[in-house]
Amino acid sequence: MDIRKPISSQGGDSILKFLDLWKKQASVLKQKFGVAIEEIRMPLDDLTDVPIVYVQKDSIISILKFLKEDSEFEYRFLADITATDEESEPRFELVYNLFSHQNRCRIRVKVRVRESDAVATAVSVWEGANWAEREVYDMFGIRFDGHPDLRRILMDHRWVGYPLRKDYPLRGYQMFVDSEPVNLSLLEQDK
Amino acid sequence: MMNEDFKRSSFSLPPGYAVEHDPDDLWGDSRVIVNIGPTHPAMHGALRMIAQLNGETIEKSYCEFGFTHRAKEKLGENRTYHNYIVYTDRLNYCSALINNVAYAMAVERLMGIEVPERCVWLRMICCELSRIMDHLICIGINAVDLGAFSFFLYGFHQREEAYTLIEKLCGARLTTSYTRIGGLMADAPDGFERELKAWVGRTRKVVQEMDELLTGNKIWHLRTVGVGVFNKENCFEYSYSGPNARAAGVDMDLRRDQPYLFYKNVEFDVPICQNGDVFDRYMVRLLEIQQSLNILSQCADKMKKGPIWAEDKRVRIPDKDVVYNTMEGMIHHFKFFMKGFEVPPGEAYTQVEAANGELGFYIVSKGGSHAHRMRIRGPSVWHYQGLSKMVEGEKIQDMVAALGSINVIAGELDR
Amino acid sequence: MSKDGSSAYLTTKLDVLINWGRKNSLWPLPFGTSCCGIEMMATLCSDYDMSRFGAEVVRFSPRQSDLLIVAGIINLKMAPILKTVYDQMSDPKYVMSFGACASSGGIFNVYSVLQGIDTLIPVDVYVPGCPPAPEGVLHALMRLQEMIAQGQTQSQKKRIEMKKGIS
Repeated sequence: MDIRKPISSQGGDSILKFLDLWKKQASVLKQKFGVAIEEIRMPLDDLTDVPIVYVQKDSIISILKFLKEDSEFEYRFLADITATDEESEPRFELVYNLFSHQNRCRIRVKVRVRESDAVATAVSVWEGANWAEREVYDMFGIRFDGHPDLRRILMDHRWVGYPLRKDYPLRGYQMFVDSEPVNLSLLEQDK
Repeated sequence: MMNEDFKRSSFSLPPGYAVEHDPDDLWGDSRVIVNIGPTHPAMHGALRMIAQLNGETIEKSYCEFGFTHRAKEKLGENRTYHNYIVYTDRLNYCSALINNVAYAMAVERLMGIEVPERCVWLRMICCELSRIMDHLICIGINAVDLGAFSFFLYGFHQREEAYTLIEKLCGARLTTSYTRIGGLMADAPDGFERELKAWVGRTRKVVQEMDELLTGNKIWHLRTVGVGVFNKENCFEYSYSGPNARAAGVDMDLRRDQPYLFYKNVEFDVPICQNGDVFDRYMVRLLEIQQSLNILSQCADKMKKGPIWAEDKRVRIPDKDVVYNTMEGMIHHFKFFMKGFEVPPGEAYTQVEAANGELGFYIVSKGGSHAHRMRIRGPSVWHYQGLSKMVEGEKIQDMVAALGSINVIAGELDR
Repeated sequence: MSKDGSSAYLTTKLDVLINWGRKNSLWPLPFGTSCCGIEMMATLCSDYDMSRFGAEVVRFSPRQSDLLIVAGIINLKMAPILKTVYDQMSDPKYVMSFGACASSGGIFNVYSVLQGIDTLIPVDVYVPGCPPAPEGVLHALMRLQEMIAQGQTQSQKKRIEMKKGIS
């Protein structure tokens, strides 16, 4: 008894409803991007609710753009950008959760990222990816190339370390005596 | 235009000081940088906005948050799945029950547990009840910010009555912790359906009154129509969901698009407006309250007596009777609460249509009683992100209206 | 009473009169950050109505208020701001720690949360609960009024000690 059991009251029956569509989409993706797609994990075969597409770090933006703009795929709604700390090399997995208004199904794109790597920013695809990427940077320390404003977002800008990494202690307090000043340079820059 | 040297020197001034007069810039002498928040009557909760004003017009601004960050995602990795229920209350505290339901659904999905019918109906009642409460407080506070105080009192009184109903369910007012993995804390008391329907009837009248009080009000129109416009294209770019997106014409409601619970079995409409301004966001919420009231009365009719716990030994909390009177029950109880239950490996993103938009729990389990990663996708973050764009070129007082209308909840924003 | 007006009897009575005025006209500053802010609103609203106790004039400016209600979580990013707001209030000032998060950190014993605001500013009354019910808040308010009448609050005590030090 695990994730593979489709239960309609939890929205789990989407596994059966969209499986054919997802299989078709997976073959299209493999055909179009070839080696850039590392692997595709399908629901029922693997322990997941939607297909997980592992892509190579360098081609992530072109794949996201394709998923968003292609009329067959139309994953136009960026539900979330987050990451997980896997504690083994490559250390992080960057996760993009997408939703399609047209097909009403979801897909998950993942990138494996080393601690020293920087990933291209998705702000060029979705403007709203800005804060989500800042949060990933704040919590995991994954850097994004070409991000317009890569600062800490939840923590104080003087904070040391990245709280959601597995090696950061749950109670690692850092106290500051004065509040964060207004950053005038952000108002100065031209659009 | 300002020359480069001047720009540098003027921007090193502390905030709140007027920039010195520039002969080429007619408005230069009235350009001011204003810091709004984190403790400010217009900012709901601890939010901060720094705006550069030209006269009263916001030229450019940026937002900051994180003043109530409570590390709920980190706690998700350090608490058992059962212990984590209390933390989900404190996400969107205006509608805590939806968070409870969403979290329970997410873990049940990972474990492949199907809950019995009565439990699903009760969860649906919880969702709709708190959706109404959330909308009431959102439009109420939005109205208070613009000066319509009595409107708020109407809504808040109805909220107090809803609290009474929720107290009957779980004994708490705000932070409910009502759901359990695989069931509910307790069954609804006898006659709950009747009381619920009576409340629905009363609320329908109150909402009608509220509608008459404000919707046709000239002052309200002047303050809200055409203010804080966020169009459809922007909604897609900024991942707007829920009422805020529907106000701009995005036809998206997860209750209909990706049905969960028993939303397939009830009839309801999805109200959609076109302009995406403050008035439309108010209107969508008001209409949604009416739809939710319809759903509630359908739920009260369709709900039947029956068990509320799933027949699954892994998650079933032993009855108090067994715990107090038998040795095995006692041991089971102790092990359940101290060690927690095992969740099989897997990962799932479970989403519900919360009062504000899409609320998602992305849980990665690698086996064991703790999650490997507990990600909460709260709609407020995405809505708040669009605020700077929304108020650009608007008057400073319209920022208050715009912020109130997108209903940013600090607990969900900072997590 | 002596001719220079320095009689102990009269000043004590004046203190009582002033404290009576103070306790019945509290001007709260609602420092609501999270869940407790909603319950604070419920207390101020029609059903519970805090104005019955003379504390309905909510002011968001620290210069105008004398009761700081810290309702909700104070995390390490917010702590300096709370301290600034407290310092800006004029004496005598009273602090109500509203809810478990403000009083002790509550269930959030984590890297980002201040473990109780009393590590930062003096607190007069604590209201337990997560969040406290409005009845509890009203009880705390009445308790605070008693304390003010007796001159037992932190800021009044500090003032008396300062006076002693001067004389």
